[in-house]
Amino acid sequence: MKALLLSLLLLPLAALAQAPTIEISGANFRPLPVAVPAPVTQNEGAKKLASDFDKAFGFDLAASGIMQVLDRKSFTADAKEGMTAGSINFSRWADVGAEALVKVSLAQDGGTARGELRLFNVATGREDLKVAKDAPADKPEQLAHRLADALYRHFTQEPSPFLSRITYVLKSGNNRDVYVADWDGDNAQALSKGGINILPALSPEGSQVAFTTYRKGRPDIFVQKPGGDARAVVSEGQMATGASFSPDGKRIAYSLAEGESAQIHVANADGSGARAITDTPYGLNTSPTWSPDGKRIAFVSNRGGSPQIYVMGADGSGVRRLTFQGNYNQTPDWSPRGDLIVFTARDERNAFDLFTINVDTGKVTRMTQDQGNNEEPAFSPNGRLILFTSTRDGGSKLYVMTSEGNNQMPLRASKGTLLTPDWAPLAQGE
Amino acid sequence: MTDTAYGHSLLVSRPSRLSRFIGVSVVGHIALLVAAVLYARLSSGPKMDLDAKPIKASLVRLGKPRDPKLLPRKEQLPPPPKQVDAPKPPPDAPAPAPTPAAVAVPIPGVKPEPSSAPKPTPQKGETTGEDRRKRLFGAFDKTAKAAEEEPEGAEDGDPDGDSATAEGERYFGLLQSQVRRHYNVADTIPETERLRLNTVVAVRLGRTGEVLDVSLTKPSGNDLFDSAVVTAVRKAAPFSPPPEHLRETLQKHGVNLSFRPNAL
Repeated sequence: MKALLLSLLLLPLAALAQAPTIEISGANFRPLPVAVPAPVTQNEGAKKLASDFDKAFGFDLAASGIMQVLDRKSFTADAKEGMTAGSINFSRWADVGAEALVKVSLAQDGGTARGELRLFNVATGREDLKVAKDAPADKPEQLAHRLADALYRHFTQEPSPFLSRITYVLKSGNNRDVYVADWDGDNAQALSKGGINILPALSPEGSQVAFTTYRKGRPDIFVQKPGGDARAVVSEGQMATGASFSPDGKRIAYSLAEGESAQIHVANADGSGARAITDTPYGLNTSPTWSPDGKRIAFVSNRGGSPQIYVMGADGSGVRRLTFQGNYNQTPDWSPRGDLIVFTARDERNAFDLFTINVDTGKVTRMTQDQGNNEEPAFSPNGRLILFTSTRDGGSKLYVMTSEGNNQMPLRASKGTLLTPDWAPLAQGE
Repeated sequence: MTDTAYGHSLLVSRPSRLSRFIGVSVVGHIALLVAAVLYARLSSGPKMDLDAKPIKASLVRLGKPRDPKLLPRKEQLPPPPKQVDAPKPPPDAPAPAPTPAAVAVPIPGVKPEPSSAPKPTPQKGETTGEDRRKRLFGAFDKTAKAAEEEPEGAEDGDPDGDSATAEGERYFGLLQSQVRRHYNVADTIPETERLRLNTVVAVRLGRTGEVLDVSLTKPSGNDLFDSAVVTAVRKAAPFSPPPEHLRETLQKHGVNLSFRPNAL
């Protein structure tokens, strides 16, 4: 009897003599903690570039949403530490919480700024990436975006948003002018000079902008290349607004107001072959946005009594109401990934905030809350980020956040009252 | 004859043993009764356990469900915009000055440690000298252990109520939850890769739950993921002391932790 009891007691122990296995799943995904020490400068010329480079590079990584740039003040590593794995004391980087270490070395060679980036895995001490890029010496930010893009591609295996362009309206006095800029708001260039120019939209490759302008006395849609002349593509009806390029850049959709109604039209990119694809005698249909495959268009309509987001085929067929929550939903933008539409909604507290809706399931997710008014969202080319305006710090400024609503931060260069941003739908390749 | 008559008379009182028996019996019963009452009084009274933690219950009123016609609200405040200090080029003096204000990115769903721990836990950004760092981490380990075991409630369970197997299972459950708390994986890992990654780590534990050895027995091929799981194990240490019957196994053979990024 005793022997039986003893064996019963020991059986589980015998089973455990082999190392038991525990399954652990469901990781917390969070931005990769990255240490980015100040760039090493190889010569005097590089020292002049370093500051501008550093600001742009740091913003790219921090705003990317996939990396957490650690505060340099906490670093304990020797400031003169080298660029190669052998000369790096990785335990010091591990101590400050870094999982990846990014070292950049800069040099100026005549009119060219050269940068070399090395990425190390802090835990293994291995060099995972070594890449060199260059840019004009007077554009160190360009070099920063190129190196940051290489880093982003290494991690995600997809193009970064760092080389893409944005457009927005700067309000000054009674004027509204259209600008194009780098994704961080820097390197801004005015397209219009004075008057009322609103609702700009970038063509897929970011080379031209369509916008509504009053330069002929009434709101028409013009298309302009940065540095080029504006040409009218839609000058009919009482008011043409909300131009949006199709993903292949060959067509534009816009809203044309006539009498008491406004209808969505689709035309070739030069304005030819226009035809209305909505027909609601007393309804307003505005703000068209294309699905990434170019087969569908989402838009705003008040046909149900209040402004709501609707979806239809690009030929106007199969109209379906998408939003049923809230009574004031507007400015939709379709994600280049296709699954989500981000839009502005006024909630029951009368605050404007941003929401996404899953096109297939109809699930609405709130992005912003209790931080001023947040409006006019636009997806980044890869669909991972959303550019928008917010009044959280006073005037209307440009902000960026992840498509889950995380990591909301102001653009690097965001001066003055900035409105209605748009992001070029295609990522810029290298 | 007289003798006999006297001897048989019922009217004559004679010394009898019966009354003595009755007396003893009555006294005995009373004593038993008193003892029982006293025992019951003494033994069944509420024990005062000064170490017992009070159970806090709070009544909450369930609000009306939100009108489905209204737009949803976030349960948690959105993370505040992260102010990116425009990184300045280092001054001539290369020695970095320690400041507690390290930029921390708020991660939704993950509690920031400083606010959840009862005692101020050291932030990584605060550490400078080697000694100071060790001191801080030592303090962290102590507080972390206390804080982590609390919600499990396994350590103060019935000491002799469970079989060894159940105790072992409970211990492994505790290990699992301790590691999972630190199971942070970088967003930089592409979504397609998340589906197939699997890393197995062998961990040997000492008598007091300290980690003796962590080794990758089956790497996933993604260095970031591999180092993240090793970091998770190291950060979760020290673990709770293993139950008696597991000590030798855990010390000699260790335990395999099989990690996958996505929830199963």
